[in-house]
Amino acid sequence: MAGAGGGGCPAGANDLQWCFSQVKGAIDEDVAEADIISTVEFNYSGDLLATGDKGGRVVIFQREQENKSRPHSRGEYNVYSTFQSHEPEFDYLKSLEIEEKINKIRWLPQQNAAQFLLSTNDKTIKLWKISERDKRAEGYNLKDEDGRLRDPFRITALRVPILKPMDLMVEASPRRIFANAHTYHINSISVNSDHETYLSADDLRINLWHLEITDRSFNIVDMKPANMEELTEVITAAEFHPHQCNVFVHSSSKGTTRLCDMRSSALCDTHSKFFEEPEDPSSRSFFSEIISSISDVKFSHSGRYMMTRDYLSVKVWDLNMESRPVETHQVHEYLRSKLCSLYENDCIFDKFECCWSGSDSAIMTGSYNNFFRMFDRNTRRDVTLEASRENSKPRASLKPRKVCTGAKRKRDEISVDSLDFSKKILHTAWHPAGNVIAVAATNNLYIFQDKVN
Amino acid sequence: MECALDAQSLISISLRKIHSSRTQRGGIKLHKNLLVSYVLRNARQLYLSERYAELYRRQQQQQQQQQQQQQQQQPPHHQHQHLAYAAPGIPASAADFGPLQLGGCGDAEAREPAPRHQLHQLHQLHQLHLQQQLHQHQHPAPRGCAAAAAGAPAGGAGALSELPGCAALQPPHGAPHRGQPLEPLQPGPAPLPPPAPAALCPRDPRASAACSAPSVPPGAAPQAAAAASPSTSPAPASSPGFYRGAYPAPSDFGVHCSSQTTVLDLDTHVVTTVENGYLHQDCCASAHCPCCGQGAPGPGLASAAGCKRKYYPGQEEEDDDDEDAGDLEAEPPGVAPFAPCKRARFEDFCPDSSPDASNISNLISIFGSGFSGLVSRQPDSSEQPPPLNGQLCAKQALASLGAWTRAIVAF
Repeated sequence: MAGAGGGGCPAGANDLQWCFSQVKGAIDEDVAEADIISTVEFNYSGDLLATGDKGGRVVIFQREQENKSRPHSRGEYNVYSTFQSHEPEFDYLKSLEIEEKINKIRWLPQQNAAQFLLSTNDKTIKLWKISERDKRAEGYNLKDEDGRLRDPFRITALRVPILKPMDLMVEASPRRIFANAHTYHINSISVNSDHETYLSADDLRINLWHLEITDRSFNIVDMKPANMEELTEVITAAEFHPHQCNVFVHSSSKGTTRLCDMRSSALCDTHSKFFEEPEDPSSRSFFSEIISSISDVKFSHSGRYMMTRDYLSVKVWDLNMESRPVETHQVHEYLRSKLCSLYENDCIFDKFECCWSGSDSAIMTGSYNNFFRMFDRNTRRDVTLEASRENSKPRASLKPRKVCTGAKRKRDEISVDSLDFSKKILHTAWHPAGNVIAVAATNNLYIFQDKVN
Repeated sequence: MECALDAQSLISISLRKIHSSRTQRGGIKLHKNLLVSYVLRNARQLYLSERYAELYRRQQQQQQQQQQQQQQQQPPHHQHQHLAYAAPGIPASAADFGPLQLGGCGDAEAREPAPRHQLHQLHQLHQLHLQQQLHQHQHPAPRGCAAAAAGAPAGGAGALSELPGCAALQPPHGAPHRGQPLEPLQPGPAPLPPPAPAALCPRDPRASAACSAPSVPPGAAPQAAAAASPSTSPAPASSPGFYRGAYPAPSDFGVHCSSQTTVLDLDTHVVTTVENGYLHQDCCASAHCPCCGQGAPGPGLASAAGCKRKYYPGQEEEDDDDEDAGDLEAEPPGVAPFAPCKRARFEDFCPDSSPDASNISNLISIFGSGFSGLVSRQPDSSEQPPPLNGQLCAKQALASLGAWTRAIVAF
């Protein structure tokens, strides 16, 4: 693909000039709740980009092959498949409605012509097979072209059906349904590096599944206290190590992350490593517990580091050092004085995700007002960019944005009080190999690429 | 973007959030409710410590005035004619204790746009809090700062701990202590609420080291001026009088055991009937529960097994409450008091249709007890004062049982 990041010296986030590439989704001001994107994920090669929404649908985009005759459509993503993954359900036994919102999508590595992904809502995980059909057999003996059976007595000769090309049809079919294993709401799924097992995590428990077996799962972490009165923390995210199939991490609402090794015991309630940064007592407030809750945890591609996102910051941890993170990046520290209002309007509960660049040299996470932040770990620089329709001219460069906290607002800066908290970027994804990013802004999906220099 | 960062508004906002989470799609979100409960705890802690500070200041002033009056041999004048609580039977001191008085200005109600019932419930929350202190003093909690703070009722000058989030307030010098019933008689200075507020430690309730409240032997000498009140024996025995006086007439709370809510534990699938915000069987088990007559001394959790309906008939599952039952050594009560419980059936479950006021009241009473790890798990209802009011009985039961999560689930 064009642009840096393929080989040689990896470019940092700020050496690149991010340009608008595409935006998917409706333009209307009124956003239907069902269209709000709830998860974004590139597949292993980066050619496919899947999004899930609150209406339970999955939309998969495929990258167009670079075409000499159309140099400007530099690897555009177009809709490849759309299907309804989950439907709203009602648990009659517990009188609970189960939302169809897709909480997470995780791709499986490709092993044959078909693509597989796992999608989950609050209670049920499904394995979908997405396969292409571009040929059709014609000339059957026993049935005619409409499919009606031919009268056997009319068949006087035999012929071999031949395959004829047809318009590409992409079919999605559910191959496995992993249900009834979670009492609480599923917040994470993660495919293991062995490509055979995966974990699913809810508020209090983590289960280990085999992709082929749907009627059984193993509980590997159980944080439910004997007496629910004593509940002090819940699991907020979990992920398998990218290379070590026995290692996974899970983060908690108390701001701690535990790394567990499945070789040590069947039940991994006791951790192997415990990552926690001591709280600064001078910054204690009513909302200290809320803002320290970790909303996302991601291993780096190398497997050496992991990143945790809490409400105001993103921290990079070296797996070999549990006492404190090696890097802490403030995402929107200017919100610290606004926590009370954010609590009132529920924004303080927003769960932002974070992601690594393909080379682990940069990390990205979202913020409010459709801003998203990128931190270059090498140059220690950070940039704030905006996903908006106004900056949506093809290949238009994104201009860095700045939020001003003081009274004097410079031109082009936006003041904290003018931020639109209904426009939040919770889900972002970075292409595994190159510099393409997908940013979900409510019901729109923005794709940005680097400029060819 | 400004918002009132005072404890009271935070409490009401938090309760509203919890209340509205009942009706949100997708069921109760455990994580969000847990975080809201942390805010609620922090705000409650600050609110209570502020109120106690105010009360302490007022107590000091009144004592000084009282002393001056006595020296001048003037007839005592009533300090509490400006009561906001007009409920009959409310002792002046208790009303002085109420949220409308606390906070130091009569315009508290005007300032607070929340309906009056919220303030009333804050008052109840406060009362519940005190009751927890009584328990903890009697039976030090194995964990939690509340244990450390519980021993700090008497003597010494009131001192606000500077520790973040831990306010181990001690009652002012010479103030009446736990066990000092608040009677409407005395014209003098209002007796303080007996124990200090719980020192609710932030973050880790088990870090009792963070709370430094000197422990004081119970039953310290009550204030002479307030000696008009009857018994001054150690806390629990005399606190009945306190609570008897402190609470509004039972009629204010509606019929005891009248409304039912059914709670369902997500994991064990145990359906339990909760009435008026408390576990009916526990209330009935209390020796003095008015509706159920004489019952076992303990909260009767173990005995309540008969009242709990397993969701799947025929399956006996371990219930979370069994742990509490184990602590209690409660004898199973007679069959008769539980007859009302048996009427509760899952099919009868209907969503709580009471007005918001009672819902919030239920939630407060639940939360008053259920903040994770904060309150002692010692139920000890056997030493509970025999309350006339079913609501108080409810709160006491819940103080020890909590299980707010279960209750929330059903909501």
